[in-house]
Amino acid sequence: MISLQYFVLLIATAILYWIIPRQTLRNVLLILSSFAFIYLMDKYSVVVVLALSILSYLFGVLIHKYLQKAWIHTVGVLLLLGVLIGFKYLGFLNGIYNSLTSFISALPRFEIRNLLLPLGLSYIVFKHISYLTDIKWTLVKPGRFIDFLLYSSLFTIFVAGPIERFERFKPQVEQERLKFSWSDIDYGFTRIVFGMFKKLVLADWIGYLINPVWEDLSSYGAGIRLLALLGYSFQVYFDFSAYSDIAIGSSRFFGIRIMENFNNPYLAPNLSQFWRRWHISLSDWIRDYLFFPLSKLSSKRIWQVFFVPVIAMALCGLWHGPSWNYVIWGVWHGVGLSVLQLWNTYKRKHKRLAKITKANWFRFAGVLMTFSFVTLGWWWFR
Amino acid sequence: MKDKLIEFIRDEFLDDPDVEITEQTKLISSGLIDSFSLVSLQVFIEKEFGKKIPAPRITAESFDTIEQMIKIIEQF
Repeated sequence: MISLQYFVLLIATAILYWIIPRQTLRNVLLILSSFAFIYLMDKYSVVVVLALSILSYLFGVLIHKYLQKAWIHTVGVLLLLGVLIGFKYLGFLNGIYNSLTSFISALPRFEIRNLLLPLGLSYIVFKHISYLTDIKWTLVKPGRFIDFLLYSSLFTIFVAGPIERFERFKPQVEQERLKFSWSDIDYGFTRIVFGMFKKLVLADWIGYLINPVWEDLSSYGAGIRLLALLGYSFQVYFDFSAYSDIAIGSSRFFGIRIMENFNNPYLAPNLSQFWRRWHISLSDWIRDYLFFPLSKLSSKRIWQVFFVPVIAMALCGLWHGPSWNYVIWGVWHGVGLSVLQLWNTYKRKHKRLAKITKANWFRFAGVLMTFSFVTLGWWWFR
Repeated sequence: MKDKLIEFIRDEFLDDPDVEITEQTKLISSGLIDSFSLVSLQVFIEKEFGKKIPAPRITAESFDTIEQMIKIIEQF
């Protein structure tokens, strides 16, 4: 994303965009630029983005037309998940299956080669699932195809999110004409510079310091390893939030407001609050389309308190990549959220404890504990 | 609707039952209701008022006060 090609395309598109008088034509220009960007990064992805957009849009129209027929939504979501699994997780699942064959010799072994993962697939599939589900929930109407195609492909948020919702995106781009404002350009430029500083100065320099330790962990003592983990905790934050800054700033060049993705996550007083502040667009997605529906499957306490957070966070981990270390990272957070729920219940029953937890020193201790827990969790993520 | 919501929230979620809840009291953003409890609130509203409120509407921005809750419930 931080490349000369990206910034040349951004500036050239922004100049042309504001010369064009009508928003619909501006949207066409943004789509063309976005597809040019995707083609330059990975030409194979152009076909996937176009095909998925047509498929999801058709399902959106059908879901809206036949609201009572829940199966249309189910089929649409399953197809999207099928595409994601087919491209991203088939090799991983094949590995699990082959591990089973070593225990059950009657099962035949086979090898599936990983397909080339199209650029931005995880993001586009999650965006489309939210689109279909929000139509089913009558939160949004399908809109025009051109707006949906722009939502699917907009190059400023295509590679690293945020996972914006169509409900917020649509009213902006379906206007007759978004108004040009220098304050938008100023804000966008500032966010991009801020993001570049976070990425190129902070994240990359921390990486420069800690990478030698991570590459040869056995040669270093526990203290240095812990420092490397602490460094990684900040590196991953600066790196990822930098991409969000650049994405939000770049979108503002076109007058488009994209949701915030980070809000001082390392100052969160507990793990639940951390997930309200870290990769907000993903955690909101997990909450709305996974956590809530899973919670309603059973009213049993063990299901609600333990299984739902662990399953939801394990899948959140798996979304980051087809590897067990991401699953373990997710389970780590799921168990943490589960313990937090038990603590909240305990606190509710002990009034004196509830009063103590409101004190400033307790809140500060909570921030330190949450940061430590999250930082330890990055061990599996890296 | 208002009284039923206040009674449920007081009984199920609050650490301190003496806290006064008005129509404007911020419940989620102030931390009086933690985010895990929102599923129970959604289920309660569905059972009590027969309204299915989609999860994206149950947030600190749009579902924070009793007044906002009633407004959203009436929309569905």
